Amino acid sequence: MTRYLALRVGQAVLVLWAAFTAGFVLLQLLPGDSILIKFQNPELGLSPDQIAEIRRLYGSDAPAIVRYVHTLLGFLHGDFGYSIDTGTPVLDRLAEGLPATAKLATLGFLVAVLIAVTIAFVSSYSRFAWIRGALLALPSLFVSVPTFWLGIVLIQVFSFQLKLVPVIGGTGFEQLILPVLTLAVPISAPLAQVLARSLDQVQAQPFVAVVAAKGASQRWILWRHVARNALLPTLTIAGVTFGELIAGSVVTETVFGRNGIGRLTEQAVAVQDTPVMLAIVVLSATVFVLVNLVVDLLYPVLDPRLAAKVGVTA
Amino acid sequence: MPRTRLRSTLRAGVAALATIGLLAACSANAASDAGDAGQPVYGGTLTYLEHQPPSCLYLPAAGFYPNGGVLNQLTDKLTWQDPKTLKIEPWIAKSWEINADATEYTFHLRDGVTFSDGSPLDAETVAANFDVYGLGNKELKLPVAEFVNNYARSEVIDKSTVKFHFNKPSPGFLQGTSVIGAGLVSKKTISLPYEEQCQLKNVVGSGPFTVANQVVDKEIDLVARKDYSWAPPSFAHQGRAYLDKIKIIVTPEDNVRVGALTSGQADYVRYVQAYDEATVKAAGYRIYAEPTRGVNNGLYLRPANSILQDVNVRKALQAGTDAKEVVETLFTDSYPVATSVLSKLAAGYVDLSAQLGYDPAKANSLLDQAGWVRGADGIREKGGRKLQLSVFVSGPQPLSKQTLELVAQQWTKIGVKLDVRQADSGTQAAALKDAEKTPLVHSMVGRADQDVIKSQFHTRNRDVLLSNDAQLDRLLEEQSALVDANARNAKVAEIQRYVVDQGYAIPLFEEPQVYGAAPYVHGVSFEAVARPSFYDVWLSKKDK
Amino acid sequence: MTAQSGIDVLQPTSPARTGLSLRLPPAGLMLAWLAIAVAVLWATVPGLFTGHDPINGVPAEKLQAPSAAHLFGTDALGRDLLARVVHGSARSLSGGFVAVAVGLVVGTLLGLLAGSVGGLLDELVMRVVDVLLAVPGLLLALTAIILLGAGTTNVAIAVGIGSVAAFARLTRSEVVRVRRTDYVEAAFGSGGRFFTVLRRHVLPNSLGPVVALAAVQFGSAILAISTFSFLGYGAKPPDPEWGLLIAEGRNYLATSWWLTTLPGLVVVLVVVAAGRISRSISREDR
Repeated sequence: MTRYLALRVGQAVLVLWAAFTAGFVLLQLLPGDSILIKFQNPELGLSPDQIAEIRRLYGSDAPAIVRYVHTLLGFLHGDFGYSIDTGTPVLDRLAEGLPATAKLATLGFLVAVLIAVTIAFVSSYSRFAWIRGALLALPSLFVSVPTFWLGIVLIQVFSFQLKLVPVIGGTGFEQLILPVLTLAVPISAPLAQVLARSLDQVQAQPFVAVVAAKGASQRWILWRHVARNALLPTLTIAGVTFGELIAGSVVTETVFGRNGIGRLTEQAVAVQDTPVMLAIVVLSATVFVLVNLVVDLLYPVLDPRLAAKVGVTA
Repeated sequence: MPRTRLRSTLRAGVAALATIGLLAACSANAASDAGDAGQPVYGGTLTYLEHQPPSCLYLPAAGFYPNGGVLNQLTDKLTWQDPKTLKIEPWIAKSWEINADATEYTFHLRDGVTFSDGSPLDAETVAANFDVYGLGNKELKLPVAEFVNNYARSEVIDKSTVKFHFNKPSPGFLQGTSVIGAGLVSKKTISLPYEEQCQLKNVVGSGPFTVANQVVDKEIDLVARKDYSWAPPSFAHQGRAYLDKIKIIVTPEDNVRVGALTSGQADYVRYVQAYDEATVKAAGYRIYAEPTRGVNNGLYLRPANSILQDVNVRKALQAGTDAKEVVETLFTDSYPVATSVLSKLAAGYVDLSAQLGYDPAKANSLLDQAGWVRGADGIREKGGRKLQLSVFVSGPQPLSKQTLELVAQQWTKIGVKLDVRQADSGTQAAALKDAEKTPLVHSMVGRADQDVIKSQFHTRNRDVLLSNDAQLDRLLEEQSALVDANARNAKVAEIQRYVVDQGYAIPLFEEPQVYGAAPYVHGVSFEAVARPSFYDVWLSKKDK
Repeated sequence: MTAQSGIDVLQPTSPARTGLSLRLPPAGLMLAWLAIAVAVLWATVPGLFTGHDPINGVPAEKLQAPSAAHLFGTDALGRDLLARVVHGSARSLSGGFVAVAVGLVVGTLLGLLAGSVGGLLDELVMRVVDVLLAVPGLLLALTAIILLGAGTTNVAIAVGIGSVAAFARLTRSEVVRVRRTDYVEAAFGSGGRFFTVLRRHVLPNSLGPVVALAAVQFGSAILAISTFSFLGYGAKPPDPEWGLLIAEGRNYLATSWWLTTLPGLVVVLVVVAAGRISRSISREDR
């Protein structure tokens, strides 16, 4: 087990380094650069010589390999450099955005699980085929609607027409309702599909018939087994939907005018603020690696059957 | 074990859902009724929705409207330009003298003005401000400001008198002291390096509001300065601002801003799109379309481009563009059709509508003369090369993409293909200084002084044309050195004619800044280039 | 974002067995194929479905509600919306295909390599896939778009790159599963050459779930492309494309509902149809 743990941590570090390096190389290839974008702004009226001077001051005229080593060492010391767009330390910008996005993403994921469990459970339990069909068609519908469109429609209907929830002002909780829903709906879809299938499989298993014959109600059987069957896929999806949560938060934060890592990502890309982009790559890679590490380590705990073949992570 | 865990999860979930429903039902609020104007009242919070987050807040970069909306409330200027008469009036400077050839300006400052950190606004501080705006500061990475020309040095005469010296006549300087970028900041602020001056928390001004709180990229809360008592003397309202607090909230989605306004969640919004004006008005709200008094929204053709070097081609494109159709299709009465390079309200404007009419027949014959012959696909060709140009969609211009699509549609009728390109700012920045990659640009610039035309066209300013025309530069320099206002206006008229005759510009419309406000928001006012001032704003609504 | 429905990949035990157990009558499947067929016909012979010009409109007829003359109404420039939807299908469908092709080809090759060779190479490939998953897909795609330039095809390639990881993981686990089956063991045992066995036995038997994933990805790629239009990296104007129509029409939601709703419905139909077909494929596989 210790050896396995060491191996997994080693892999995690390797993935982090590779993500950093890939990010660095990719960002070098971009046309133009943030200094050009920022200082070529006609309002500032700078000549090309002056821009070159500024570039020198920012140290961005050094050879790529020097900057790579320099940046890598900086990251290792927790120094992510300065945002070229705002001049603030990148760490500050991340710290400003992270809590808001973490809250949005966590709640979004939890609500997604809630929606998925509700759909899967009610559809499996329902005696009416049409309810079942309708509920099971929902996930397909959920993934067929663009997130930004869903957000705008939710705002128009619930905030502007029905005036139920404000998007501007209001308490922190009120401000979270619609964004969380917007983020949760598309993520709930694959989860609902997996859960519904798990429940079907449970019902098809012989022991269910046995337990039922012994007089247990079907509801009891479902309750009994939904947990185990829900937990594993939910965990797995938690590890992988992380990227989706970030993508979803970009759109959600833009539509709802929230601050956070998503907006920061979009803005950093728009002005090619490379230090910020690189930090976001490393940040999200770190979270991804950690989440998956935890998930991998939890599998054997949750499902003894997996303990034997640990290490075979698809 | 899993069973209980699941059950409690489910129960918590159901409870959460129920709570959401309840809260949602409770928070439904009644729509506000319009109050009557009358005596201004003090107090209240204004919720103002901004389209984009502010960027770097170094004062000379304040021209960007999101920046201006904040900085206009935080800083005062030496002089005040009346947006109606465009006359320069006293503000922090109670009087001034200018020598005959406009190379020396002496300002006499008001006493008792303080910055929000308590430091005095004195001659030394003003000198320090303009030394940076006029000369820049390499060490601190501070660039020169565009509104100061030919600056040499400052001279502090006494505590409340400061004199500025110029290498060459600089008649635009007096107006330059009134623009948003010339906002005065404390000595501490102005001596910070560029990155520090960019940050809101470091901007210390003497204006009627100060920053109370900021959530980067989302919200800025301003509070009134209780001891403010140095509004421009010509204002009826003196003393502190009426409002207690302003919440500036960044809301990028156009329909969310407008919906929030008309559903009573916000009081005042910037950037109402043309197609939403009717919605806002129909809901009983007010539209303020403020002119920007500068170089019109239009297409600027670059003579260094290998196709556009032929003046006939440029003139043909000018004649083949129907600005009236653009305005009627995409915009509203708030956007007057352009009749010159400059706005009707700009100093030195001359009506050139006769030269700028839509005339496809003329366009076709000019292109025929220039040797461009229609190919099989209807697009003209010459020497195996297609008459094909490309233009970038310009983010800051309203409905730029749709405008360009419509122009492209108009140009197909004269056998010209216009590729409308959408690109990130990096790609655009890299291509901007190359006339082959960027043969024409969609832009405008607002400023209420004759120098605005120089800002747009001079090779050492924005140089939107990437001009290779020495005569144009010479004309612009002559203009900016003329001291007599009438002579200057005449020169500006000459430049407008020259730019139109050379086919450098295809003016489309006079671009306004369009704001929407609730009927209970009174005292809405703007500086000369349409940035909002909240000093006079008051709310008649009780609960705000 | 792109791997939205790539749930199959996520199952640690038997990734191939997904498929929503939606017991629609076969009529549902027929309708799904019909929807796809119509979309393909729109793309190939748009002239049969609309006589209007999708690029050059009549400015005087701007923002008209749906009517007999304009079934889907007109947009801000007076262009017929149905014409733009019909002519836009070629770009949207090919965008979906390109995105899937990139993900499918690159991802399947990586997965096949990792699963069949195993050992160090497997480890290496899977770490590369981890990196692809660890970097936010949207950031990756945006960077790719900036590098390649805007435009539907480039956006589609960027979206496809984002789904490489999903395909690679799925293919690898399928290959690993198939390799352990008796007949493959037998094929190797009876002296079959590595690549021959791979081609004859492993690949065909692993492909079912992968094809199902491809069908699902096709739908989510169309949606992803529309998200990039929303963020301002869409099709080259004035060309129509479904995602772009939805993204641009949203601004008119309060005043001209049809501009975003009708193209949105078309996309929903096609995506749901693709999902339905995907499920039928994975069920046949079972």
